[in-house]
Amino acid sequence: MENQYAIEMLHITKKFPGIIANDDVTIQLKKGEIHALLGENGAGKSTLMSVLFGLYQAEEGIIKKDGKEVKINNPNDANDLGIGMVHQHFKLVECFTVLDNIIMGVEPNKFGFLQKKEAREKVLALSEKYGLHVDPDAYIEDITVGMQQRTEILKMLYRENEVLIFDEPTAVLTPQEIEELMQIMKNLAAEGKSILFISHKLNEIKAVADRCSVLRKGKYIGTVDTKDATIEELSAMMVGHDVSLHVQKDESKPGEVILDIENMTVASKMHNNNAVKNVSLKVRRGEVVCIAGIDGNGQTEFVHGLTGLEPLVSGKVTLCGQDITKMPIRKKLTSGMSHIPEDRHKHGLVLDYSLEDNCVLQRYYEPEFTDKFGFLRRDNIRKYSEKLIEQYDVRSGQGPITIARSMSGGNQQKAIVAREIDKNPELLIAVQPTRGLDVGAIEYIHKQIVAQRDAGKGVLIVSLELEEVMDVSDRILVMFEGEIVGELDPKTTTEEELGLYMAGAKRDEVKA
Amino acid sequence: MSKKILRNEAFQSLFASLICIVLGVLIGYIVLLFINPSGAGEAIMEVLKNFLHYSKANLQLKNFGNTLVKTAPLLMCALSVLFAYKVGLFNIGAAGQYCVGICASIYCAIGLGLGWLPCMIIAAICGALYGAIVGLLKSYCNVNEVISGIMLNWIALYTTNMILSTVKESTSPYTFHLNTHGVDAMLPGLGMDKIFAGNTYVTIALPLAVLTAVLIYVLLEKTKFGFELKATGFNKNAAKYCGMAEKRNIIVTLMISGGIAALGASFMYLTDYEQWMCTSSAVPGMGFNGIAAAFLGGLNPIGTIFSSYFIQHITNGGAYVDKTMYCSQISDLISSLIIYLCGFVFFIKFAMNKYLDKQEEKEALKAKGAESEKGGDK
Amino acid sequence: MLLLVQYTLVFASVLILVALGGCFAEHSGVINLGLEGVMVIGALGGALMMRYAPDGIGTFPLIMLVLIASVVFGTVYSSLLGVACINFKANQTIVGTALNMLGTAAATVIVKAINTATNPNDVSSTIQYVDEKKAFIVNIGSFEFNWFMLIALIALVIAYVTLYKTKFGLRLMACGEHPQAADSVGINVYKMRWAGVLISGVYGGLGGICYILSGVSEWKFENGVAGFGFLALAVMIFGQWKPSRIAMAALIFGFFRALSNTYFGFDFLVSLDITGSVYNMMPYIICLIVLAFTSKKSRAPKAEGIPYDKGQR
Repeated sequence: MENQYAIEMLHITKKFPGIIANDDVTIQLKKGEIHALLGENGAGKSTLMSVLFGLYQAEEGIIKKDGKEVKINNPNDANDLGIGMVHQHFKLVECFTVLDNIIMGVEPNKFGFLQKKEAREKVLALSEKYGLHVDPDAYIEDITVGMQQRTEILKMLYRENEVLIFDEPTAVLTPQEIEELMQIMKNLAAEGKSILFISHKLNEIKAVADRCSVLRKGKYIGTVDTKDATIEELSAMMVGHDVSLHVQKDESKPGEVILDIENMTVASKMHNNNAVKNVSLKVRRGEVVCIAGIDGNGQTEFVHGLTGLEPLVSGKVTLCGQDITKMPIRKKLTSGMSHIPEDRHKHGLVLDYSLEDNCVLQRYYEPEFTDKFGFLRRDNIRKYSEKLIEQYDVRSGQGPITIARSMSGGNQQKAIVAREIDKNPELLIAVQPTRGLDVGAIEYIHKQIVAQRDAGKGVLIVSLELEEVMDVSDRILVMFEGEIVGELDPKTTTEEELGLYMAGAKRDEVKA
Repeated sequence: MSKKILRNEAFQSLFASLICIVLGVLIGYIVLLFINPSGAGEAIMEVLKNFLHYSKANLQLKNFGNTLVKTAPLLMCALSVLFAYKVGLFNIGAAGQYCVGICASIYCAIGLGLGWLPCMIIAAICGALYGAIVGLLKSYCNVNEVISGIMLNWIALYTTNMILSTVKESTSPYTFHLNTHGVDAMLPGLGMDKIFAGNTYVTIALPLAVLTAVLIYVLLEKTKFGFELKATGFNKNAAKYCGMAEKRNIIVTLMISGGIAALGASFMYLTDYEQWMCTSSAVPGMGFNGIAAAFLGGLNPIGTIFSSYFIQHITNGGAYVDKTMYCSQISDLISSLIIYLCGFVFFIKFAMNKYLDKQEEKEALKAKGAESEKGGDK
Repeated sequence: MLLLVQYTLVFASVLILVALGGCFAEHSGVINLGLEGVMVIGALGGALMMRYAPDGIGTFPLIMLVLIASVVFGTVYSSLLGVACINFKANQTIVGTALNMLGTAAATVIVKAINTATNPNDVSSTIQYVDEKKAFIVNIGSFEFNWFMLIALIALVIAYVTLYKTKFGLRLMACGEHPQAADSVGINVYKMRWAGVLISGVYGGLGGICYILSGVSEWKFENGVAGFGFLALAVMIFGQWKPSRIAMAALIFGFFRALSNTYFGFDFLVSLDITGSVYNMMPYIICLIVLAFTSKKSRAPKAEGIPYDKGQR
C-alpha cells in the first residue's frame, strides 16, 4: 500500500530545563491536506514545529518523511526535505528587498556573485500562479504585514517546498486578509502541497482545515476530522474542560467624562507620516472603552502619546478636568493615570529586579517607601509587596525576592496588573492586557478590569483580540491607519461588521 | 549547605575574578617564558611580590606606601567606571576626566596658589562638567558614549598639555614641584607617613578613596537615587515608562562619574608624587586600568577596593623585574589580559549555575525515586 | 599645499581601511571596538617583517611580505574578539577595550624584548624602517605617492562588491540585521560573524601598517596608534555603514588630521598663531561635532552588539 503521509512525527518528547514542552506527541500529515494543530498558548505547538523544522532536537521520538525515517538537525536539513515554515514573527530582513529575502540562503550565483535575474522571473511567475501580488523590488520595511507574510509564503514556494508550516499566521491580519490567506492555503493544497496550520482560533480551523490535532500542556490529546467536530468539542479538547470565555458583567452606568482627548496627532518612528492622525475621544467613569484594530494601525503610538512616552505633534489631553498634555510622565502617573503597557518585558518590568522592587516601581519615591533622607524603606517595601502578592495571587519561586525574569509570563503580567490597579487610579489604560496568557489568567484579569469599571473608574483598553474586544468593552472604537473610523456597541454589532471597520472597508464620521 | 554558598552571587563573582587573575598571571608567565625562559619564574614572582622585594621592613613599608599612593586614584577611576556601568554606560572617558582633573588640580595649585581643598573641589567640578559633555551627547544626540569618551580623552590630553605648559619648568617638560611652588595645595598626611616609614606621599587621599567606595555602595544599594539609576541601567524603557527622568539620570550619572575620576587625579597629583609631562602623547593609563579594576572587582564598590589594590600591586611590581631580560610593561600585559578574561565572567557564572543545576537535578531524581515527575513549576 | 593633499590621502587611506574593517564586523553583528588594538598588532607584524626581511629582496616581494605579515597578525589577533564575543557571548565593549590595551601592552613587551635581546642597553620600544619604508613610496614630482593609497582604493572596491554583489555579502548583512532570519534559512550565524570579525582583522591590520608608514620612519610601540581605531569607527558611523560614504567621510577626517601635520606650511595658518595642540585636537573635535549631528538617525545594523543565541527566538 502506498504511503499516504507526507510527514509523520511519532512519539516526540522535547524537554527544557524545568519543563516538558512536548510529551510523547504524535501527528501525521497526509499528502495534500490542510492539517490544523490546535492548542492554547504554551501548549507546545511552536516547540513541536521547531523540532520539525530542525531548530530544536527532540530527546525522543522519530520523524518520517514519505514513510522514511529522517534526521533533521538544522533548517537546512528541513529545507532539503522540502519543509518550509512561515514563522509567527516573520523572519525577514527589513532593509532588504522582497527578492533578497526570498533568495537568501539559496542564492543563485556564479562564483559567489549574485545572479538575481532568473530568480526575479521565477518569483514573478510564482506570485502570478498563486495570486500573491508581491513586488519583488519593494523593501520589506515599506510593505504591509500582509505583503510580508506573502513574501514568507513565496520564500517557501521558491524553494519548492512540499510541506508548508504556518505558525499562527492570522494573528496580524485583518478579517479580509485572513479570507485571502485561507483561499491561498486552499490553492496550495489543491496544487498538492501539504499544509500544517497552527492556530488557537477555532472558527478558522473549522473553515479551512481537513483534520485537526490537539495539544494540551505538551501532551497529545487527539486528532479529529474537522467537518465532524463542533467548535464546542474542539474547544473542550483544547482546554480540557468546558469554559465560558464570556465575562459576567452588569450594564455599565457611564458617569462624567474622565479622559478627554482632542485632536491628538503623533509622529511615527517608522515612516514620515503621522502614526496617529487627529484622534479625539472621551472616556467616562464607569465604562470600558475598547480600541480595536489590526496591529500597526497607530494604537501603540496612540498610547505612547497619551502616556507621554512619545511627544505629541499636536492635540490636547484632559484628565479629570486637568490639562495633562505637556506634563512629564511622572506627573501624569500621579494625576490618576495607570498604564498596563503593551510589552511587559520592554516597559512593564525591570526583569533583573526582584518582584518586590517591581511592585514599587511606580511608587518607590513616596514617603511610605523612601524616607526624607532619600533612603529606601526596605521593610515597608517588603510588607507592601507581600500584600500585593497575596491579594492578586502572584505566584513565584521565592516570593518577594524572586527575580522577575525567572517568573512565568502570566505571573509577570499579574504583578503589573496588581501594581497598576493598586495605585487606585481614576483612569486605567491597559494595552493588550492578556497577550500570551492562559485562559485562567485571562479570566482573572478581565474580572479585575470590570471591577475597576464597577468602582466608577474609567477604563481604556487597546486590544487586537476580537473576542476580548467584544467581551469586555462597553463601547468599541475602531482605529484604522491612525484614525478612529467607527464607534460600535458590542451588544448590537457583529465580529464581521467590526472586521470591515478594522480593514478600513467601512467608516463613519465619528463624533468625539 | 555548601551549595548555597556556591549559588551565592557574591561568591560566584569572587570565584570568577580569581579565575581571571590566575589565568592572567599564568598567560603572563608563558609570555615571559617565550621571551627568556631562564628568568621567567623569578620575574613573575617579582611582579607578585612587589614591595616584598626588599628584605628590610622599613623599605617594605615605604614601598607599600608608594603602591597605596597610586591605589587611591586607581580606586577612584574604577569607581567612576563602575558607577556609570550600573546605569548601563561604559565610561571609557574616565581617562580623559582623570586628565582634566590633573589639569585643574595642578593649575589651581601652582598657577592660582589655592589650598588643597579648593583644588580638589575645582578638579571634581571640572571633571563633572567634562563628564556632562558625554552625558549630553548621549542623551540628546544619541552619540555612543564609548566613541565620544575616546574623542574627549584626546581633547583633554592636548588641552592639559597646553594649559599646564604655563606652569612648567623652563628646562624640562615637567610641571613645577608642589613642594616648591604650591605648598598650600599639598594634601595633609594626618601623620600617616609615620606608619609607612616616613613616606610623606601617603595622605588622606587613601582613606578618602575608601570612603568614596563605601558612599557609592550605600548610594547604589540603599537610596532612592540608586534604585532609579540601576533601573535605568537594567531597562531604560521601563525607567521611562514609570516616569524616571532618564535623560537627566544619564547626565547626572556621568557628571558624578567624571567628578570621581577627576577627584582621583587630585588624590595623586596633590601629593607631589608625580608631575605632569607637558609633551605627553597619551592619556595616563589610570582611567583604563580603572576599567580592569572595576570588572575584576565584580562591579561591586567594596570588591573594587581590593581589585584596585591588586592591579596597582602588580603594576608597581612590574618595576622590579630584571630589566636586562624583561620590561615593566609586563604588568600592563597581565592587567589587560585580566580585563579580557573578565569578558568571560558571565560565561563562568553561567557554567557554574548549569553545573549546579545538573547536580541538583540528579539529586532530586535520586530523592524522588519512584515518585512521579512534577511539572515545570519554576 | 601638495603636502597637505598627500597627507590627507594617506590618512584617509588608513581611515578607509580600518573603517571598512569595522563595517564588516558590524554588518555581521559584532561591534569591533578593539580595532585600535588590531591596528597596533597589524603594524607590529608589518614592522617586524620589515626588520627581518632579508636585504635586497626587491621592492615588490618586500611590500607583499609586509602586507601579508600585517594581515596575518591582525587576523589572528581579531580572533581573540571572535572567541570571546561569538562563542562565549562576552560583552563586546569590555572585550574590545581589553584588546586595545592588550595590543599596546603586548606590542611594547615584544618589541622591548627583541630590542633588549639584540642590545642589552636598548630598552626602547622602537622599530626603525628607514630603508624599507622607501619601498612603499613612489615620488611623482614632489608628490610622494604611497602604495597604500592604491591599496585602500582596491580595498574599497572589494568591500563594495563583496557586500552588495555577492552571496556572502547578502548573508553577512542578514546576520547583522536579523540573525534569526538568517538562521531560519540555514545560514550559520556563528560562521558569518566569525567571517566578519576576521575580515575586520585583515582590514585593521592593513590599516595599522599603513598608519605607521604614513609619515615617520620609525615607530615607538608604547604609543599605540593614537585613537585612530576609534576615529575610524566614527568615520564608519558618519559613513552610515556604507563603503562609498565611508570613503567620503574618511577624506574629510583625513584632511583635518593632515592639517595638524602640515599647518606650519601655510603662512595664513601660522599667522593665526594657534598652538600645535589645537591642531592636534581638531580631528577629534570635528569628529564629536559630526557625531552629534549624525547619530540621531542611525542606520546601524539592528542586531549589532547582541550576542546570538540559538536557543532564543
